[in-house]
Amino acid sequence: MFNIVEDTQKTREDTRKTWEKIADYFRANSIWMKWYCTGCGAMEMPPTMTSRFDMEQLGMGPMATPRQADVLLITGYLSAKTLRRVIYSYEQMQDPKYVIGFGSCTLNGGIYFDSYATMTRLDHYIPVDLYIAGCMPRPEAIMNAFDTLIAMIKKGEAKGWKHYQDNYEWYNANQIHSLKEVRVKDEFHE
Amino acid sequence: MNLMNLIYAFGLLLFAFVLQTSITGINRKVIARLQRRRGPRWFQQFIDIFKALSKSSTSHGWIFDFGVVMALGGIMATAMFIPIGPLQALPGLDNIFIIAYVLAVGMLGMAMSASGSGNPWASIGVSRALTNMLAYDIPFMVVIFGLIFAYDTSSLSGFAAIQQEGGILGWNIIRFPLGGLVAMISLQGMLGKKPFDSFIAPAEIASGPMVEYGGRHLGMLFLLHEFQTFVEVSLIVHIFFGGGATVLEYVVKYALIYTFMNIVSNILPRFKIDQAVTFFYKVPLALAMIQSLLIIVTGLGVA
Amino acid sequence: MNSMNSIVDDLKGKFDIINVVFPDDMQMAVDVDKNDVHTVLSYLKTIGYKQLSLMSGVDWIKENEFEVVFIVFNWDNGIHILLRTRLDRENPVFRTITGIYPGAQYYERDIHEFFGIEFEGNPMSYKDLFLELWDEMPPMRKDFDPLAYSQDKFPERKYESQFIPEVGVIK
Repeated sequence: MFNIVEDTQKTREDTRKTWEKIADYFRANSIWMKWYCTGCGAMEMPPTMTSRFDMEQLGMGPMATPRQADVLLITGYLSAKTLRRVIYSYEQMQDPKYVIGFGSCTLNGGIYFDSYATMTRLDHYIPVDLYIAGCMPRPEAIMNAFDTLIAMIKKGEAKGWKHYQDNYEWYNANQIHSLKEVRVKDEFHE
Repeated sequence: MNLMNLIYAFGLLLFAFVLQTSITGINRKVIARLQRRRGPRWFQQFIDIFKALSKSSTSHGWIFDFGVVMALGGIMATAMFIPIGPLQALPGLDNIFIIAYVLAVGMLGMAMSASGSGNPWASIGVSRALTNMLAYDIPFMVVIFGLIFAYDTSSLSGFAAIQQEGGILGWNIIRFPLGGLVAMISLQGMLGKKPFDSFIAPAEIASGPMVEYGGRHLGMLFLLHEFQTFVEVSLIVHIFFGGGATVLEYVVKYALIYTFMNIVSNILPRFKIDQAVTFFYKVPLALAMIQSLLIIVTGLGVA
Repeated sequence: MNSMNSIVDDLKGKFDIINVVFPDDMQMAVDVDKNDVHTVLSYLKTIGYKQLSLMSGVDWIKENEFEVVFIVFNWDNGIHILLRTRLDRENPVFRTITGIYPGAQYYERDIHEFFGIEFEGNPMSYKDLFLELWDEMPPMRKDFDPLAYSQDKFPERKYESQFIPEVGVIK
């Protein structure tokens, strides 16, 4: 089973080419995000973006669609119905792409651990580069996480998207197990 | 026109890119200070563009791909005609009509590409962008026709030379304040800044034409936007602010005007597209008509 | 309170009311038989209770009954009326009220999905609303075990240590 700690240790020996290192410098210093407002964590983003904490000083900014974004923030619990849309959004994003899971709900289900509708582990379905613990994490914790993500990208450790490509069967099997079918078939898609 | 002209033209493109991208970056800092934030570094815009170009991207059919290249090519070709202060890459070709027509190639390429993505938000955005273009272009062109009538020239460097004879009082913005006001409002529309940014409105139509672009395609759009801004602000600098006797003078004027427009943009809310069109056809068009009539009938302000 | 009493008298005179309670001032709860619901609701709508504020279900598993609750509101006098009725749990079938309050469409879909109550005459109520591709017993029934379902469907994270020294024993 996918263990994030082992995975990052494996990629620690640096096999990147020079141009990839240069590209990683740009990617680390300009992170556009798409935050998926599934739960209460979306509420912590406005203070992080505006004048008190000002994430733009790290070169980060919000983007309107997943295609334009580099990092997907899953801000809170995910119901099975939302998970389908999250997988859609994640697969629409362009490589390299990163995922940050917010709060204990994405980590282990949090207070919804026994709910019939919400999943308990996000990294079963899409690769998560970074988790922020807390219920919900405060803006300080979020800024700290962004710092960590930037350092990870600079070192070439944020390789979740590669992991997703290499282990797609495993992720897809998990998605099918929990959702039966990833394809969205609601009344707006008829 | 020979090989040296082409080399100059590409040098000019490089200069325009560095100039406008730096000024955009500085303006992000200015806006951040306006909102009491710390703001990004001044070269953040360069990082953004290079990062976008370094990512992978998806195609949505050859119209989508071809349209982006056509738009970027069209805008870059337009930028080549623009004089920078006294310097000109392609002398004698800086006619307003050439610039207006070649600029349309870029706009249409963009519209074609965005529609080719098949996303409904993109179609809405494109239709709004073209409606917006129709709205700001008519008052702007009415004023320009008045000026052409007054000076018997339609070249940018010609306008600049005439204005430079009279010092600051010779600038068209002083001589024809109504026309200058109309041009500034139209410039706001051309740049797609608030209150006329309904076609990219991120919160309502998910950034409009750009909705399906990612990675390299998005990087090209950002490049395109920088060149487009360069062309549009340069038009105003040359026609209303006396161009530049030196490159430095030109760059200072350019930076001040762009920063001013940006600050105005950031303290205004957004018009709906029908409100924007109604506004342009009421106030600026009426002012433009009055200005042109004043020039043609009374010759007021003409040196 | 006077207007509340006059409404109660009015309803009692016209319909077969099982019970009336007053949870709060400006609110009253009325129990009726399931066959009377439609006539009572139509009557309430004609005397000004135009807004269906809520429609929901309750599972009374010990009494082997479902309860369906309608809350209607009158904007003129600010009174909420809570209309309650009981259904048999083994065969929960109810006639749709979308003919009276068209806005009940989504409430009926919701109740059908979460309690399995069928609404005759509303074919839309069989469509999925929140739970897509649901294959178990409706989840709001009391005999549904959400923990077992969650553990089966959504694998949990395994922790090597279940002990955090600062906090003490967890789990």
